Amino acid sequence: MLVYVVRRILATIPVMAVVALFVFSLLYIAPGDPAAVIAGDQATPEDVEKIRRSLGLDRPFLIRFGEWVWQIVRFDLGTSIFTGLPVTQLIAQRIEPTLSLMVVTLIIAVTIAVPMGVLAAWKAGTLIDRTIMAFAVFGFSVPVFVVGYILAYIFALELDWLPVQGYTPIARGIWPWFQNLILPAIALGMVYIALIARITRATMLEVLQQDYIRTARAKGLSQRAVLFLHALKNAAVPIITVIGIGVALLIGGAVVTESVFAIPGLGRLTVDAILRRDYPVIQGLVLLFSFVYVLVNLAVDLVYTIVDPRIRY
Amino acid sequence: MDRRTFIKTGAGAGIIAASGGLSAPALSQGAAAKTLRFVPQANLANFDPIWGTQYVVRNAAALVWDTLYGVDSTLTPQRQMVESEEVSADGRTWTFKLRPGLKFHDGSPVLAKDCVQSLIRWSFRDPMGLMIKAIQEEIVAIDDRSFRWKLTKPYPKMLLALGKNNAPCTFIMPERIARTDPFQQISEYIGSGPMKFVRNEWVPGARAVFEKFADYVPRSEPASWLAGGKRMLVDRIEWVIMPDPATASAALQNGEIDWWENPIADLVPVLRRNRNIRVDIGDPLGNIGAFRLNHLHPPFNDVRARRAILMALDQEEFMRAIVGSDDSLWKPLPGFFTPGTPLYTEEGGEILKGRRDIEGAKRLLAESGYKGEPVTMVVAQDQPVTKAQGDVANELLKRIGMNVDFVATDWGTTGQRRALKTPPAQGGWNIFFSWHAGADCTNPAGYTAIRANGDRAWFGWPDVPAVETEVTAWFEAKNLAEEKAAIARLNKAALDNVVFVPPGFFLTYTAWRSNVTGITKGPLPFFWDVAKA
Repeated sequence: MLVYVVRRILATIPVMAVVALFVFSLLYIAPGDPAAVIAGDQATPEDVEKIRRSLGLDRPFLIRFGEWVWQIVRFDLGTSIFTGLPVTQLIAQRIEPTLSLMVVTLIIAVTIAVPMGVLAAWKAGTLIDRTIMAFAVFGFSVPVFVVGYILAYIFALELDWLPVQGYTPIARGIWPWFQNLILPAIALGMVYIALIARITRATMLEVLQQDYIRTARAKGLSQRAVLFLHALKNAAVPIITVIGIGVALLIGGAVVTESVFAIPGLGRLTVDAILRRDYPVIQGLVLLFSFVYVLVNLAVDLVYTIVDPRIRY
Repeated sequence: MDRRTFIKTGAGAGIIAASGGLSAPALSQGAAAKTLRFVPQANLANFDPIWGTQYVVRNAAALVWDTLYGVDSTLTPQRQMVESEEVSADGRTWTFKLRPGLKFHDGSPVLAKDCVQSLIRWSFRDPMGLMIKAIQEEIVAIDDRSFRWKLTKPYPKMLLALGKNNAPCTFIMPERIARTDPFQQISEYIGSGPMKFVRNEWVPGARAVFEKFADYVPRSEPASWLAGGKRMLVDRIEWVIMPDPATASAALQNGEIDWWENPIADLVPVLRRNRNIRVDIGDPLGNIGAFRLNHLHPPFNDVRARRAILMALDQEEFMRAIVGSDDSLWKPLPGFFTPGTPLYTEEGGEILKGRRDIEGAKRLLAESGYKGEPVTMVVAQDQPVTKAQGDVANELLKRIGMNVDFVATDWGTTGQRRALKTPPAQGGWNIFFSWHAGADCTNPAGYTAIRANGDRAWFGWPDVPAVETEVTAWFEAKNLAEEKAAIARLNKAALDNVVFVPPGFFLTYTAWRSNVTGITKGPLPFFWDVAKA
C-alpha cells in the first residue's frame, strides 16, 4: 500500500508538468494585456509599452517559461504582476475561506444527500421518492447565484438571522466563523446534494435487488440495519467516487459563491487574476487546483480499500 | 425574530453549545462607531498611485499620501502641504516652502528633498509633468522646507499641475521610496496623509484597511475636496471589495457596510425604499462616454465618415442604455468638456443637436468612399458602460448602412487590442468604447482623450493640428477669459474633425447608512469630516 501511495504521488509530477506547460501556453496565446490594465485608461500607448517592458512581458515565450519553471522547482510561484506580493502569500491569505467553505459544504451535502438517497431508494416509486427526486432536479437546475440571492434575502435581509456576506476567520470563534458559511455552503451544496442523492438512490436500488439483501431481511434484520449496514456499505464505492468528482464541482462553484457572498477566497482570486491577466497568479492557482484534484483522487482510491476489502493495490 | 433572539433561543442553542459558546463580537459598539466600512468602485489591486493610475488607486492614495496643493470644489488649486510659494517676475522660477511639522507615517519629517524626488517620479508619468519636465532647467531642495523649480519658460498652470485631482496626482513620498523607477511598483506605502495604510491587513481583491495617523496636522481652513483641513472623525476605514452589486446592496440594507461608493442604477429604487439609507449623486462632475474611432484606417481616416456618425447619433439612446429611465442621471453633451464647469462650451456642437439625420449620414458616408467594408467594433462586455454603448452603436451603424463586425470581448482584451495600429483585418480595430471621469474633462490638462497629436495621441491616434494649437493656447492662457476662448475653439475643432464621438454625459449615485454624516459630492470619495454615529 505504501509503495502504491508513493508511486501515485510521484505520478503527480508529470501530470503537473503537463498542466504547467498547458496553462502557460494557453495564457501566452490568450488575448489581453496586464500592462494596459495597470497603466489605467488614460495612459498613452508609450506608457503601456514601458510598463510591459518593465514586467518582462515583451520577452520570448521560452525564456519566460524557463524562468517560471525554474521558480516552480524551487517552490516559488512567482510574484503577482499587480499587487507585487508573492503568489504564495496571496494564496495563503485566501486558502482558509475556500477550504472552510468546501469542508462545510461537503459535510452538509453528504449529511443531507446520502440519507435522502437511501430514503428515496427504500421508498422507490412513492411520493417521498418523487419529492426527493424533484428536489434533486431543482438542485441541478437552479444556478448557485440564484439560490444564494434567495437565501440571503430570506435569512439575512428579511429574518436578520445571518449575515449577507463576508468571512470571519475560525480563530475568532467557531460560531462567527460558521454563521458566515451557512448560507454560502447551502447555496454551493445544492447541486452537490442533488448529485450525491441521485447516485445514492440509483446504486441503492441496484443493491437492494441483490440476494444477500433478501437473505438479510429473511434473517429478520431491522430495516435500518439492512439499509445502512448491508446495502449502503455495498453501494459506497460509486458514492465515494461521485463525492470525489464533486470536489471539482465545488472548486468551480466556489468561484460564483465567493463572489455572491463576498468571501475572500481562492475563487475570487482566480476571477480577479483572469480579468486582469495576472499571469503568475493564474498559473499558481491552476497548479494548486490541479494538485488538489490529484490528491482528492488519490484519497478516493485509498478510501475504496476501506469500504471494500476486496480492493487491493 | 432577529438574529440575536434566534441565537438566544433553542434554534441557535445547539450550534452555540457545540461551538463552545458565543464568541465576543470583533468590535465593541464604540469601536464600531469609529470604524467606517466602505465598498469602493473597484478592487484595490495595487497601491502605487504613480505606477498604476486607476481611479480606485488614486482614491485610496488620497487618504495615505498628501499633496502640495489640492483643488477645491470650485476646481481652484489651494495650498495643502505648502505654506507659501513665490514665482519670479519672468514666471520661470517657482520656490515652494512647506508647512512646518509635517511628518511621514514612519515618524520622519517631510523634507524638501522628499518633494523633489516625488515630483521627479511623478513627472515621468503625468501629461502635465512631462510638459514641465520638457522645460525644466532644475529642481532642487534649498533647505529642509524649501525647494526651487526652475524652468526655461513660464508654465502658468503650475499650481493646477501640483493640485489637480486626476491621476496621477502629485502624492509626496519619502525620498527613498520616490527613487523607485516610475515604471516599477513601490513596495512601501508610507505617506504623510491623514490615514495610514495597514499593510498586513491588505488582502488584494477583498479588503484594505486604513488607520488614523495621530501626527497628521490638518490645515486650519474647512475641508473642500482635496483642499483644506483633512480632519478624520473615524479611527479606522475598512474598504470591503464586493464584486457583486446585489450583495453590496443587501449588505448596506443589513447594516454590514456603511457606505457604497457607486450603486448601480437598477438597485437604487430598492435602496431608496429603505429609511436607513441615503442616496444621492456621488460625483457632480460625472462621466463622459467615449465612442472612439481609429483615424489610421478606412473608413474613419476620412473625416466625412466620422461626421456621418455625429449626424446620426442620438445621445439619449446611448445614455438611457447606460443609466436606464432615470432622467436625473444624464445630460446631452454637444461637446467634450464637463457640463457645469467653468470651461464648458457647446461651440461647434450643432451637429449633435436637434433631429437626427440618418439619410444625411448615409449620403456623407457614401461620399467618404465607404462601400460596405467590415467595420471592426471591439466591445468589452464585462463593463456595463462599454457594453451599453456598444449595443446602441451597433444598431446605429447598421441603420446608416455600415457592415459591423461586432467583437464581443472583455476589458483586458480591449486594453490590448486598442493599442494595435495594424489594420482591423490584421488584428487591429475601427471602434472601441470607454468613458472618462468628468473631473478629467474639465480642461485639457489631464484630458488625454482630447489630444490630437497623431502618434502620441490616445488610442485612435487623431492628428488634428488645430486641436493641438488650442491646447497650447489654453496652457498659455493668462486668465479665465483667454482659457474660455481657447477651449471654445478647441471644442469646435475637435467636433469638426471628430477627435472622438461623445455619446453623452452621465452621473452615478452613491449610497450610505443614515447614521453616517459628512459625505460630500465630489470626483472621489472624501473621507475627511465623515462621521459615524
